[in-house]
Amino acid sequence: MSKRNGASQSQPSTQSSPTPQTRRAAVVGANRLPFGKAGGTYSSASNLDMLTAALSGLVARYGLAGERLGEVTAGAVLKHSRDFNLTREAVLGASLSAQTPASDVQRACGTSLESTWSVANKIALGQIDSGIAGGTDSTSDAPIVVSDRLRRTLIKLSRAKTVPQRLQLLAGLRPGDLVPVAPDVAEPRTGLSMGEHQALTTRQWGITREAQDEIALASHHNLAAAYDRGFFDDLLTPYRGLTRDESLRADTSADKLTKLKPVFGLKGGDGAKATMTAGNSTPLSDGAATVLLASDEWAAERGLPVLAHVVDAEAAAVDFVRGEDGLLMGGAYAVPRLLHRNGLTLDDFAFLEIHEAFASTVLTTIAAWADEDWSQRKVGLPAIGEIDRSRLNVTGSSLAAGHPFAATGARIVGTLAKLLAEKKATQGEGPVRGLISVCAAGGQAVAMILEA
Amino acid sequence: MADMTEVRLTQVPSLGSLYAQALGRLAQTVMAMRPATALPQVRYVVDGVHADADQLAAYQQLLGEPGTDVLPAGYVHVLAFPVAMAVMARADFPLPLLGMVHLANTVEQRSPGRLGDRLDVRAWAEGLRAHRVGTQVDLVTEVSREGEILWRGVSTYLAKGKKLASAAPGEPGERPEAALPPVTGQWKLRADVGRRYAAVSGDRNPIHLSALTAKLFGFPRAIAHGMYTASRALATVGAPGDEAFRWNVEFGKPVLLPGTVTFGLAPAEGGGHTYAGWDARSGKVYFTGSVIATS
Repeated sequence: MSKRNGASQSQPSTQSSPTPQTRRAAVVGANRLPFGKAGGTYSSASNLDMLTAALSGLVARYGLAGERLGEVTAGAVLKHSRDFNLTREAVLGASLSAQTPASDVQRACGTSLESTWSVANKIALGQIDSGIAGGTDSTSDAPIVVSDRLRRTLIKLSRAKTVPQRLQLLAGLRPGDLVPVAPDVAEPRTGLSMGEHQALTTRQWGITREAQDEIALASHHNLAAAYDRGFFDDLLTPYRGLTRDESLRADTSADKLTKLKPVFGLKGGDGAKATMTAGNSTPLSDGAATVLLASDEWAAERGLPVLAHVVDAEAAAVDFVRGEDGLLMGGAYAVPRLLHRNGLTLDDFAFLEIHEAFASTVLTTIAAWADEDWSQRKVGLPAIGEIDRSRLNVTGSSLAAGHPFAATGARIVGTLAKLLAEKKATQGEGPVRGLISVCAAGGQAVAMILEA
Repeated sequence: MADMTEVRLTQVPSLGSLYAQALGRLAQTVMAMRPATALPQVRYVVDGVHADADQLAAYQQLLGEPGTDVLPAGYVHVLAFPVAMAVMARADFPLPLLGMVHLANTVEQRSPGRLGDRLDVRAWAEGLRAHRVGTQVDLVTEVSREGEILWRGVSTYLAKGKKLASAAPGEPGERPEAALPPVTGQWKLRADVGRRYAAVSGDRNPIHLSALTAKLFGFPRAIAHGMYTASRALATVGAPGDEAFRWNVEFGKPVLLPGTVTFGLAPAEGGGHTYAGWDARSGKVYFTGSVIATS
């Protein structure tokens, strides 16, 4: 190996460690792949392939070849058992120093916001000076496993000592046991898919089809405009021939969206009033995204920019199993709590990034934020109020870009950090802040504040 | 109950052998044409019953119960109910075991059982009474540990078309239907759910196993075990904090397999939850019930 060890040798210390002074971790830059549609351009790429490609692009852009970073933390939601060391394998495949340690994390669709939070905290505590956070997911190369009965039989078979024992085990199998099992998109405790859950929440909050289609249209138009002005030029590495997100429909129109038939919330007596279509719901996607985080000093030493800093983050979870809240309503708790702790209001944010799992997730979340009675009763805090829609997902979000589950948080962190840096460059004095809210399976959500 | 004869069994009987016994008795009863008309005044007792770790794990995984050493209330039913079935399988039991319909089930759990506990089971039949379309009876099962009752189940069964002169008058008509709770889940039940619950519960009643065997008893397809649906509802609601609760279910239409059950639950007055399962298309109710904390 020709990779050099970028760190100096440390001396054994005879003193106890000093109490750490915290510092804000800097977002130096980000890199992702254009997101593919399920069964599309990336259908032969694995999670490891895509994470390695995104990581290699980041390493190349910021001249990190041979560099030993403090940590690389990433994850995947649909993970093969062979990928038990997914991120470490990606590090070994990228041109970072082979001495760069790596760990895997998972918080469903909040995975790479979680990995960003984790790396930022280690930097904030002075435990590391640099790190990369990321995530990858492939719905095209999802892990298919054997049935429970076949798996148990195969394990017993490997322990069986005699031929009659083996034959007896095999005779116990039924044809149905041989059918492979694909990952289920349904919540294990309710049996409802994410879309069916959100259809219940959509109805509960009285969200209209028109409002949802409006969000979807804005997502496609904003994302297309951002591509057109070259916004993503230093945030993307083209991959397998793809240079833009495969789900992006720059030419979509309100007319086209109106013609789509609802796909969720069709069952039961209210089926005729269903509003959620393939146009205002996120498509299944493939892709990977990464973010480079560091201390200000580490970035300065290498002549690298600081786009923004990670200020704070908050996770929340709701009891959707017993129907107390909708599955994807965690952001309605995480954001008010985060703003309250930091003494901030919605007006303090130049940009709001709310992950578009479904257009209606955005709408139910902001409806809850503005609902005084709901906020007092459920969150125990005053409502944070109405958002300024002109600040919402200004360069598009998941409806247009796609949503490779574990990659979405890092996509948003990179996008928002660059938006904040751009605004800061023109605005000058005073902090420019951005807010992220990402909902996740299991009734969870992660929110984060960035500031430039 | 006081003047019941105690019959001590050396172990919990297998449901399979009880069904076989009942099948045999079905033939005998037809031959004799003079069935008993009163409940046998016996209490069956099995001391020193232990949960099996593998069976417990299989039960917990199938029903979605936490994989701890605590015995779910539905698992205690699986463990103890065969003793009550043995009462029903007696030659002098006045109703035919096969073909009986499980109408309702109530469990009062005072304290949770654990893997490794030495449990004593007592079971008897009581409350023989008329029903609109037949005769119903309660099977009572008590599970105790070191002399203290942990768990008490009352399973109400109906023998359709069976009218006994000795039966007490029944409750008038059907209760008005309560409003359904909001939807919180959807169970897509595969064709093998009956076989899978049979494997963890030992209840291999032919109506649950396959369309072919269910047809013999007048069902178009196999039907889900009522206690599977009730136990899955309990697992979804979750046992209240200190595990002392009353878990109740009333069964409506049978769930044909494969099939989809729309599930909902709502907070109940006085703490706990009510729940229900129904067919979203037809509105037919499969079951309603509640889990209420009792301490």
